Amino acid sequence: MMTEPNDPTQSGPDLSGLATRTRLSRNEIEGACTKAARGAGLSWGHAEEAGFAAGWLHAHGIDGAAALLAHLEKAAGKPWDELCPKVAAGLWLPAGKGAICPLILGSSLSDYGSLPEGSLDAGLAIGPVSQPVLVVPFLARLARSSGHPIAMRFATGTVYVGGDHISGDIKVLVDLAETRADLSAADTVPETAPCQADYECDAATLAALGVFAMRTTVPPSERSRSDAGAGTDDND
Amino acid sequence: MQAGNTLATDGGTPQPRSPQVVMRLERMGSAHPTRLSFLRVLLRRMANEGWRFDRPVWEIDDHGVGRAVYRAAGPKRSYSLVAFAHDLPAEMRSDRVIATAWDATFALFDGTPSAADLDRLQANVPLQEAGRVSSQELSLSRANRSVRLWAHVVDRLAAGQQPDPEEIAAVGYLMRTTAVYGSGKFGAADRRDIADRPELAEPFQPEMLSVWLTRQFTVDIVEHLAMVKGGANAVRLEPAIKAAFGVGNSTGLGMAPYLVRHPLLLNNWSAAREEALTRVRGVAGAAPEAVRCLRQTYQEARRNAADWRSEHPIQVAKLADLCADLDRIGARLDQFPGTAAFPWDELWRWGEATLSVEGQEQLLALLIEPHGDLVDDLSACMSADETVAAPLNGSMTVGRLREILRQRYSWALATDFTQPENMARFWYVSEEKLEPRLGERASDEGAELEQPLCIARFAWELDADLAQSPATETVAAFVMRHPRHRYIVRRAQIAETHPYAEVHDNLIAADMLPIDLMRCKLAFFGATHFDPRSDKWVRISLFQGAPYPLDPEGGSLS
Repeated sequence: MMTEPNDPTQSGPDLSGLATRTRLSRNEIEGACTKAARGAGLSWGHAEEAGFAAGWLHAHGIDGAAALLAHLEKAAGKPWDELCPKVAAGLWLPAGKGAICPLILGSSLSDYGSLPEGSLDAGLAIGPVSQPVLVVPFLARLARSSGHPIAMRFATGTVYVGGDHISGDIKVLVDLAETRADLSAADTVPETAPCQADYECDAATLAALGVFAMRTTVPPSERSRSDAGAGTDDND
Repeated sequence: MQAGNTLATDGGTPQPRSPQVVMRLERMGSAHPTRLSFLRVLLRRMANEGWRFDRPVWEIDDHGVGRAVYRAAGPKRSYSLVAFAHDLPAEMRSDRVIATAWDATFALFDGTPSAADLDRLQANVPLQEAGRVSSQELSLSRANRSVRLWAHVVDRLAAGQQPDPEEIAAVGYLMRTTAVYGSGKFGAADRRDIADRPELAEPFQPEMLSVWLTRQFTVDIVEHLAMVKGGANAVRLEPAIKAAFGVGNSTGLGMAPYLVRHPLLLNNWSAAREEALTRVRGVAGAAPEAVRCLRQTYQEARRNAADWRSEHPIQVAKLADLCADLDRIGARLDQFPGTAAFPWDELWRWGEATLSVEGQEQLLALLIEPHGDLVDDLSACMSADETVAAPLNGSMTVGRLREILRQRYSWALATDFTQPENMARFWYVSEEKLEPRLGERASDEGAELEQPLCIARFAWELDADLAQSPATETVAAFVMRHPRHRYIVRRAQIAETHPYAEVHDNLIAADMLPIDLMRCKLAFFGATHFDPRSDKWVRISLFQGAPYPLDPEGGSLS
């Protein structure tokens, strides 16, 4: 099978067979992660949120592609009811038996940001949520729109998220496969050095995301090939 | 330049055309380039800012193989097109993505490349998609020769003769690009990292610069090969002959979804063009210089139409419409400006009442052309800050969302998606090439993997579910119950404040023509000679008639 891409608008390059670690552009990371999330069964709208979240994390020095892959490997193919939260003021629990999908949780927190159910004024308990670092980009979105940084407290640390920065125990959060957390508006945020973007991805991660992405594609037919222009002579 | 900027203040004040008129596929598929097209924006800026151009590297051998560098130096930064020329056997020449080799490959480098940069690029650029470039590169592209015209031009020049203008008109270019990859593709710099540079702020400026420098490369290398072949007998291209060459572009379905996937850009491009027309219609009187410019532009449009070749039945009919309309416009211009207080508006109203859609869009381009002082600033409104997932307004009510649907998507809600002809096709990405294709829902496999380009159907389905929901429910709660609508809800919220964001036609209808989407986008680029090779595959020409960077009078780009 040949996999040269030719969509100058959306399809990214074939990311298999690259060196062990490869620097992608943010665009490529967003595209690869959006397609992988769709391939794993998320709606188109949530797949876009996955692309946003992974790209944002890389722009802030965190391997978002790896975090997304770790989540998709657990969540692929599960129905919505198994992944979404039960929304209630002050407490968002899983609607199903397993952990909440961080992309659904994050984007829903963003949706409810100015509504009572999403209010952080009296604190909001969430979880358990899978790969919780993927929630951070959505907290940044909320922090930007409200103008207040947000504290995310979990059993082994606290992360502070502003519109465009992260501080606190982010390295601890990155390694958590699942956690409960309390969200609240942060009064003070520890001073930290600005995050450096890191767009390097592990080849194995990209290959595995590519496997999910290929689930969105359709095998060719002769007619589709000729529709796309094959069969004409270009030596004219 | 124009008589005045006074807007008409009587009851007939011109208003921008409505999206219901402008965003129909038939009209988008009749779009003509204007002075707001992106290649015109590039050439204007370079002329105004006194950019300088040179060719610091020319290492091309007698077989036409090697590398060259073309540099464009602006007030603050310079950019270099790095070109690799190859010796391609005819059996490998394909414009399609299945190609793995090309006559020439290119990258646009940020600055002036060192020898080490050139070596790095030489190891990757000729491979195109199979190689990697870096954030020092702004675009990656390749081109194939027009075999017939190439041989003709080399032979004639080698024999001391100029090429036959008829042969040039029949093709229009020496090489055609088969892909120009920009923002962030294959490791190249992301647009968001360079968008704050004034010279790259408008859309597709690196890509346009790359193609313009490529045009210089195409004439340089035919002259080089003619010199190799003809020795002392060989001559160079005469300027008038040289001006007739554009750069071709061959493009397929891959381009068609772009305008659908970028609603903010589609809105901003269309809104800028409509605002330009509105401003011109509001001009009182007609200064002699503006009238002269209009007549000259009209003559150029006539020449362009006369040289515009296509064998595709749809395009043949459109060209016939265009030529007939140009006759009508010519006759009408004999009386222009006449005695009307707002002659440009009067001319436009006449056109709307008299001309085909093709002729109307040509007239729009003609009307805008003499009014650079009035409209050129609009190019600054044509980019967009696009993020992959704009936040939803979750506190909006279901009732308000339904109002937006009725206001912006009435064209979609009027379609009955229980009828097979209204959902006859589906867009998908091919496993084989990872490129967009169109399938037939009744007969082809894979409809369950449909790409989200069926906006009309999404809006129609959303409306049906909204109708079952309390009007006071929040969008946040609604999308929690109906997660599949998240995508179209986001678009509808964009469309609320961006009236030109959507194509007002059903993109999965049996009779939908993808080439209409392509022509619209290509006209915004500045493409001419739109020539469909099928209803999904086209060739066009860029920069025909434009100056060359290395012309002796290179400073006078305008």
